[in-house]
Amino acid sequence: MTNKVRDIICSAVMLVFGAGMLILARDIPHKIASDVGSAYVPTFIAICILVVAGAKLILTLTKKDPDANKKAKSDSDWFGGVGTILLMLVYMIAFQPVGFVISSAVYLFVQMLLLSNEQNRKLPLFGAIAVLLPLAVDALFVFAIQMPLPKGLWGF
Amino acid sequence: MIAAALANVFNPMCLLLIWFGTVLGIIFGSVPGLSATMAVVLFLPLTFNMDPTQGIALLIGLYMGGISGGLISAILLKIPGTPSSISTVFDGGPMAEKGEAGRALGVGILYSFIGSVLGIGALAFISPLLAKVCLLFGAADYFSVAVFSLTIIAALSGKDMLNGLIAGLIGLALSMIGMAPIDAQVRYTFGNYQLLAGLDITVLLIGVFAVTDIILAGFNRKHLADKHQQKKYHLKGYGISMKEFIQQIPNALISSVIGIAIGILPGIGGSTAGLMAYTAEKSRSKYPEKFGTGIIDGVIASEASNNACIGGSLVPLLCMGIPGNTVAAVFLGGLLVHGISPGPLIFDKSGQYVYGIYFALIVASVFMLIFERLGLPIFAKLLDIPKHILLPVIMVMCCVGAYSSASRVFDVQCVLFFALLGLFFKIFKIPSTPLIIGFILGSMFEENLRQALQASHGNWSIFVTRPISCAFLIIAVVFCTLTVRKNLREKKAAQAKGQEFDTSEEEG
Repeated sequence: MTNKVRDIICSAVMLVFGAGMLILARDIPHKIASDVGSAYVPTFIAICILVVAGAKLILTLTKKDPDANKKAKSDSDWFGGVGTILLMLVYMIAFQPVGFVISSAVYLFVQMLLLSNEQNRKLPLFGAIAVLLPLAVDALFVFAIQMPLPKGLWGF
Repeated sequence: MIAAALANVFNPMCLLLIWFGTVLGIIFGSVPGLSATMAVVLFLPLTFNMDPTQGIALLIGLYMGGISGGLISAILLKIPGTPSSISTVFDGGPMAEKGEAGRALGVGILYSFIGSVLGIGALAFISPLLAKVCLLFGAADYFSVAVFSLTIIAALSGKDMLNGLIAGLIGLALSMIGMAPIDAQVRYTFGNYQLLAGLDITVLLIGVFAVTDIILAGFNRKHLADKHQQKKYHLKGYGISMKEFIQQIPNALISSVIGIAIGILPGIGGSTAGLMAYTAEKSRSKYPEKFGTGIIDGVIASEASNNACIGGSLVPLLCMGIPGNTVAAVFLGGLLVHGISPGPLIFDKSGQYVYGIYFALIVASVFMLIFERLGLPIFAKLLDIPKHILLPVIMVMCCVGAYSSASRVFDVQCVLFFALLGLFFKIFKIPSTPLIIGFILGSMFEENLRQALQASHGNWSIFVTRPISCAFLIIAVVFCTLTVRKNLREKKAAQAKGQEFDTSEEEG
């Protein structure tokens, strides 16, 4: 992605966000006659976002920057990044129904596997950490902090 | 109040928490990829069930240790553990290459302590005076202070001011979710009752500052196991003679004053303080050509200033509720969680806790001086801690922290939403500090704007007819104009040299 494309996408997303905020602000009822109302500040902020994003878009489209079409150097590992996001998503969805201990153990093991390479992949160590850490944290919260974490379907 | 604060801080449990926080903070500060902000964010939820003084004492230990710990990797690996230690690398790195790593570490630790103590002194001296001045402020003045803080933060947290403004405005927009102040009107909840009370600051901080970094590590996993050449060190005492200590007194004092001043200004933190103090000392020095070749003057300037920044950043935080930098923003979250409302009346309403903060800062500085020195061999070993194990463990702690803030799984899910927002900011080179400050200042901004307009019957001229309000608005406009001009000059200079002008500049 070039710097110019990056700035255009950013401005467009912000314009959509500001417009959405402005439209929703119009439905906020006015309760107190002497007050400017609860829609006033969100409307003001939405207009500011639209103005700033609009200015950014115009500046990006009109500027003659030699670096504008230069692609940013990137050796991002998409499998590692998207995999991490998906793992987190599954972990957070499973947090309540499966329970803290089991969901954390599975997440820890798979995430360590994903981030490691062939040289530093030590499955017994990963397994031990994945099992012991959630148990220790759960015990800390149950006995020391007295705030139980989600137990899930299997009760632990 | 002072006696009560002394009794609260100097009890074994509180001292143990400060020690634990300081040591852990040093570890978070020293390991590249972790930061002082991450340390304070992660441990904030653990303080919820603690007595306020104890909880705040733990956070102070983490803050102090986190900022100071960055010097270990800055000297031994030539990689700053935290952005605050960037300028420590300039002379600390060459000193290590000359076989003086131990001396650089010792001097860095000693002057971190001196900078911290001077910063705490300034905090204790300036904040009561500033609080008295702030008593004169009305709703219009507070609104202008919020505008002033947001624009300055937007201007200074990145080289592209528009990106900074966008971040600040998004932060303000997020703070609009839930019930509005004054009339309790529900807004932007989309029918979700979990959003009625608004978004939780702890959850936002965990998502943007901790989980985003873990996702980025996933994108960067090829380099996660990269080993850096670590320099060996030998150190006796703190590596400085009495003669050198006396010679360096002006350097330490000037650098600390720069750190305190930078800390007080909203939005800029330790990295800018370190760079400014380093530049100031270099221009003042009789031997500027030696800077960058490995002399203690550079290490002293950097470390004294970035630690003095801690005390400075707490001045506007305590007196006006405006955090000086990102870590201070997290710290503000901690104060609010414990029912301590920063503002001009804090000395009357929560004086015991304010004095507790002063004493805890002093104790944390002393612990840092002693235990960072004694624990150097251990901290140096921890630099090699494998990230592919550490980061998933931190992720689990983040989820537990988010859950414990209100015992809701909804907060855990919000963490991922904010992490993705943080990722979006990273990709589009938008600084995240204004987002946090905008979110924190949102309620102050709205409440005071609406009250001021109610009082003036909707007339906006109230903001320019009140002298204090007008002064803040003028300073904000002047400052922003100067910053834009400076950025444009730097951009032109960078383009003339054929270099890319990087718009991102993050503080942690």
